[in-house]
Amino acid sequence: MIKVLFFGPVAERAGCNSLVVEYRAGLRLQALRDELAAQYAPAFALVCFVAVNGAQVHDLAQPLADGSEVAFMAKFSGG
Amino acid sequence: MSAAVRIQIEDFSQDDEIDAMRGSSKRIGGIATFLGCARDFSEGREVSEISFEAYGSMALAEMNALRSEAIEKFALIDARIVHRIGTVKGGDNIVFIAAGAEHRAAAFDACRWLIDELKARVPIWKKEITPEGDSWVVPHP
Repeated sequence: MIKVLFFGPVAERAGCNSLVVEYRAGLRLQALRDELAAQYAPAFALVCFVAVNGAQVHDLAQPLADGSEVAFMAKFSGG
Repeated sequence: MSAAVRIQIEDFSQDDEIDAMRGSSKRIGGIATFLGCARDFSEGREVSEISFEAYGSMALAEMNALRSEAIEKFALIDARIVHRIGTVKGGDNIVFIAAGAEHRAAAFDACRWLIDELKARVPIWKKEITPEGDSWVVPHP
Protein backbone atom coordinates (compact mmCIF):
# COMPACT_ATOMS: atom_id res chain seq x y z
CA MET A 1 0.00 0.00 0.00
CA ILE A 2 1.26 3.47 -0.92
CA LYS A 3 -0.19 6.46 0.90
CA VAL A 4 -0.43 9.53 -1.35
CA LEU A 5 -0.74 13.00 0.18
CA PHE A 6 -1.96 16.25 -1.37
CA PHE A 7 -1.84 19.66 0.30
CA GLY A 8 -3.14 23.16 -0.29
CA PRO A 9 -3.82 24.01 -3.92
CA VAL A 10 -3.11 20.47 -5.13
CA ALA A 11 -5.57 19.01 -2.61
CA GLU A 12 -8.19 21.54 -3.58
CA ARG A 13 -7.95 20.60 -7.25
CA ALA A 14 -7.74 16.87 -6.53
CA GLY A 15 -10.75 17.06 -4.26
CA CYS A 16 -9.02 15.07 -1.51
CA ASN A 17 -6.08 15.27 0.89
CA SER A 18 -4.96 11.67 0.64
CA LEU A 19 -5.57 8.42 -1.16
CA VAL A 20 -4.22 4.90 -1.13
CA VAL A 21 -2.65 3.15 -4.09
CA GLU A 22 -2.11 -0.59 -4.04
CA TYR A 23 1.57 -1.53 -3.98
CA ARG A 24 3.00 -3.75 -6.69
CA ALA A 25 6.53 -5.08 -6.98
CA GLY A 26 8.81 -2.84 -9.03
CA LEU A 27 6.60 0.24 -8.73
CA ARG A 28 8.61 3.37 -9.39
CA LEU A 29 7.82 6.96 -8.50
CA GLN A 30 7.54 7.95 -12.16
CA ALA A 31 4.86 5.32 -12.83
CA LEU A 32 2.88 6.39 -9.77
CA ARG A 33 3.12 10.02 -10.82
CA ASP A 34 2.04 9.24 -14.39
CA GLU A 35 -0.96 7.20 -13.23
CA LEU A 36 -2.16 9.84 -10.80
CA ALA A 37 -1.47 12.72 -13.21
CA ALA A 38 -3.78 11.06 -15.71
CA GLN A 39 -6.54 10.84 -13.10
CA TYR A 40 -5.99 14.24 -11.50
CA ALA A 41 -4.64 16.34 -14.37
CA PRO A 42 -5.65 19.81 -13.05
CA ALA A 43 -4.06 19.06 -9.67
CA PHE A 44 -0.85 17.70 -11.17
CA ALA A 45 -0.49 20.80 -13.36
CA LEU A 46 0.53 22.50 -10.09
CA VAL A 47 2.93 19.82 -8.83
CA CYS A 48 6.53 21.05 -8.56
CA PHE A 49 7.93 18.86 -5.78
CA VAL A 50 7.69 15.23 -4.76
CA ALA A 51 8.59 13.82 -1.35
CA VAL A 52 8.88 10.20 -0.29
CA ASN A 53 8.58 9.56 3.44
CA GLY A 54 9.08 13.25 4.14
CA ALA A 55 12.22 13.75 2.05
CA GLN A 56 12.21 15.58 -1.27
CA VAL A 57 13.05 13.33 -4.22
CA HIS A 58 14.40 14.51 -7.57
CA ASP A 59 14.96 11.15 -9.25
CA LEU A 60 11.57 9.83 -10.31
CA ALA A 61 13.17 6.53 -11.31
CA GLN A 62 13.37 5.74 -7.62
CA PRO A 63 11.62 2.47 -6.73
CA LEU A 64 8.98 2.69 -4.03
CA ALA A 65 8.80 0.40 -1.04
CA ASP A 66 5.54 -0.98 0.24
CA GLY A 67 4.19 1.34 2.92
CA SER A 68 5.77 4.49 1.46
CA GLU A 69 4.19 7.91 1.97
CA VAL A 70 4.38 9.99 -1.20
CA ALA A 71 3.49 13.70 -1.32
CA PHE A 72 2.92 15.57 -4.59
CA MET A 73 3.28 19.26 -3.80
CA ALA A 74 2.81 22.69 -5.37
CA LYS A 75 5.43 25.39 -5.02
CA PHE A 76 5.65 26.45 -1.39
CA SER A 77 4.23 29.78 -0.21
CA GLY A 78 4.93 29.92 3.51
CA GLY A 79 6.69 32.70 5.35
CA MET B 1 11.56 26.41 27.61
CA SER B 2 9.79 26.06 24.25
CA ALA B 3 11.56 24.35 21.37
CA ALA B 4 13.76 26.51 19.13
CA VAL B 5 11.89 25.35 16.02
CA ARG B 6 8.11 25.15 16.08
CA ILE B 7 4.99 25.08 13.91
CA GLN B 8 1.95 26.20 15.86
CA ILE B 9 -1.56 27.55 15.52
CA GLU B 10 -1.29 30.01 18.38
CA ASP B 11 0.47 33.36 18.26
CA PHE B 12 4.03 33.76 19.53
CA SER B 13 5.83 36.44 21.52
CA GLN B 14 8.94 37.97 19.99
CA ASP B 15 10.10 38.96 23.48
CA ASP B 16 9.77 35.38 24.73
CA GLU B 17 11.72 34.05 21.74
CA ILE B 18 14.50 36.59 22.20
CA ASP B 19 14.62 35.95 25.95
CA ALA B 20 14.97 32.23 25.25
CA MET B 21 17.83 32.92 22.88
CA ARG B 22 19.58 35.26 25.28
CA GLY B 23 19.23 32.65 27.97
CA SER B 24 20.98 30.07 25.83
CA SER B 25 24.38 31.81 25.87
CA LYS B 26 26.13 34.97 27.06
CA ARG B 27 28.53 34.80 24.10
CA ILE B 28 25.86 36.25 21.81
CA GLY B 29 26.78 39.81 20.78
CA GLY B 30 24.05 40.38 18.19
CA ILE B 31 20.59 39.02 17.46
CA ALA B 32 18.96 39.72 14.08
CA THR B 33 15.25 38.98 13.78
CA PHE B 34 12.68 38.76 11.02
CA LEU B 35 8.96 39.01 11.66
CA GLY B 36 6.62 38.10 8.83
CA CYS B 37 3.09 39.43 9.27
CA ALA B 38 -0.18 39.16 7.39
CA ARG B 39 -1.04 41.95 4.97
CA ASP B 40 -4.66 42.97 4.49
CA PHE B 41 -4.05 43.89 0.84
CA SER B 42 -2.48 41.82 -1.93
CA GLU B 43 -2.41 41.99 -5.72
CA GLY B 44 -4.86 44.89 -5.74
CA ARG B 45 -7.53 43.41 -3.48
CA GLU B 46 -8.45 43.37 0.17
CA VAL B 47 -7.48 40.27 2.12
CA SER B 48 -9.57 39.53 5.19
CA GLU B 49 -7.75 36.40 6.36
CA ILE B 50 -4.88 34.15 5.38
CA SER B 51 -5.02 30.41 5.91
CA PHE B 52 -1.83 28.32 6.19
CA GLU B 53 -1.55 24.59 5.62
CA ALA B 54 1.64 22.56 6.17
CA TYR B 55 2.95 19.09 5.51
CA GLY B 56 3.65 19.12 9.22
CA SER B 57 6.22 16.38 9.71
CA MET B 58 8.27 17.35 6.66
CA ALA B 59 7.99 21.08 7.37
CA LEU B 60 9.23 20.68 10.93
CA ALA B 61 12.10 18.42 9.83
CA GLU B 62 13.09 20.90 7.12
CA MET B 63 12.96 23.84 9.54
CA ASN B 64 15.19 21.94 11.98
CA ALA B 65 17.59 21.16 9.13
CA LEU B 66 17.62 24.86 8.17
CA ARG B 67 18.46 25.84 11.73
CA SER B 68 21.34 23.36 11.87
CA GLU B 69 22.63 24.45 8.47
CA ALA B 70 22.48 28.14 9.45
CA ILE B 71 24.33 27.51 12.71
CA GLU B 72 27.07 25.70 10.78
CA LYS B 73 27.20 28.05 7.77
CA PHE B 74 27.24 31.35 9.69
CA ALA B 75 28.86 30.14 12.94
CA LEU B 76 25.75 31.14 14.87
CA ILE B 77 25.48 30.54 18.57
CA ASP B 78 21.75 29.95 18.38
CA ALA B 79 18.78 30.28 16.00
CA ARG B 80 15.03 30.07 16.43
CA ILE B 81 12.27 29.61 13.84
CA VAL B 82 8.53 29.74 14.57
CA HIS B 83 5.82 29.50 11.88
CA ARG B 84 2.09 29.66 12.44
CA ILE B 85 -0.49 27.58 10.62
CA GLY B 86 -4.27 27.86 10.57
CA THR B 87 -6.04 31.15 9.92
CA VAL B 88 -4.64 34.60 10.70
CA LYS B 89 -6.05 38.09 10.14
CA GLY B 90 -4.41 41.17 8.64
CA GLY B 91 -1.66 42.44 10.95
CA ASP B 92 -1.24 39.11 12.75
CA ASN B 93 2.13 37.42 13.15
CA ILE B 94 3.01 34.63 10.72
CA VAL B 95 6.67 33.74 11.08
CA PHE B 96 9.53 34.68 13.37
CA ILE B 97 13.22 34.06 12.86
CA ALA B 98 16.04 34.98 15.21
CA ALA B 99 19.73 34.48 14.50
CA GLY B 100 22.20 34.99 17.34
CA ALA B 101 25.91 35.35 16.69
CA GLU B 102 29.02 36.82 18.29
CA HIS B 103 28.86 39.77 15.87
CA ARG B 104 26.18 41.53 13.84
CA ALA B 105 27.28 40.63 10.30
CA ALA B 106 26.75 36.90 10.77
CA ALA B 107 23.43 37.50 12.53
CA PHE B 108 22.08 39.68 9.70
CA ASP B 109 23.31 37.35 6.96
CA ALA B 110 21.92 34.26 8.65
CA CYS B 111 18.53 35.83 9.32
CA ARG B 112 18.12 36.77 5.64
CA TRP B 113 19.33 33.35 4.53
CA LEU B 114 16.93 31.57 6.88
CA ILE B 115 13.78 33.31 5.68
CA ASP B 116 14.77 32.96 2.03
CA GLU B 117 15.49 29.25 2.46
CA LEU B 118 12.32 28.72 4.50
CA LYS B 119 10.23 30.14 1.67
CA ALA B 120 11.95 27.90 -0.87
CA ARG B 121 12.24 24.67 1.11
CA VAL B 122 9.55 24.35 3.77
CA PRO B 123 6.26 22.75 2.63
CA ILE B 124 3.74 25.34 3.77
CA TRP B 125 1.05 26.86 1.57
CA LYS B 126 -1.08 29.95 2.08
CA LYS B 127 -4.54 30.81 0.89
CA GLU B 128 -5.80 34.38 0.82
CA ILE B 129 -9.40 34.80 1.85
CA THR B 130 -10.95 37.89 0.24
CA PRO B 131 -14.46 39.30 -0.09
CA GLU B 132 -14.36 38.10 -3.71
CA GLY B 133 -13.40 34.55 -2.79
CA ASP B 134 -10.44 32.40 -1.73
CA SER B 135 -7.28 31.73 -3.69
CA TRP B 136 -4.06 29.84 -3.04
CA VAL B 137 -0.99 32.03 -3.39
CA VAL B 138 1.36 31.42 -6.28
CA PRO B 139 4.83 32.48 -5.08
CA HIS B 140 6.80 35.22 -6.74
CA PRO B 141 10.01 34.03 -8.39
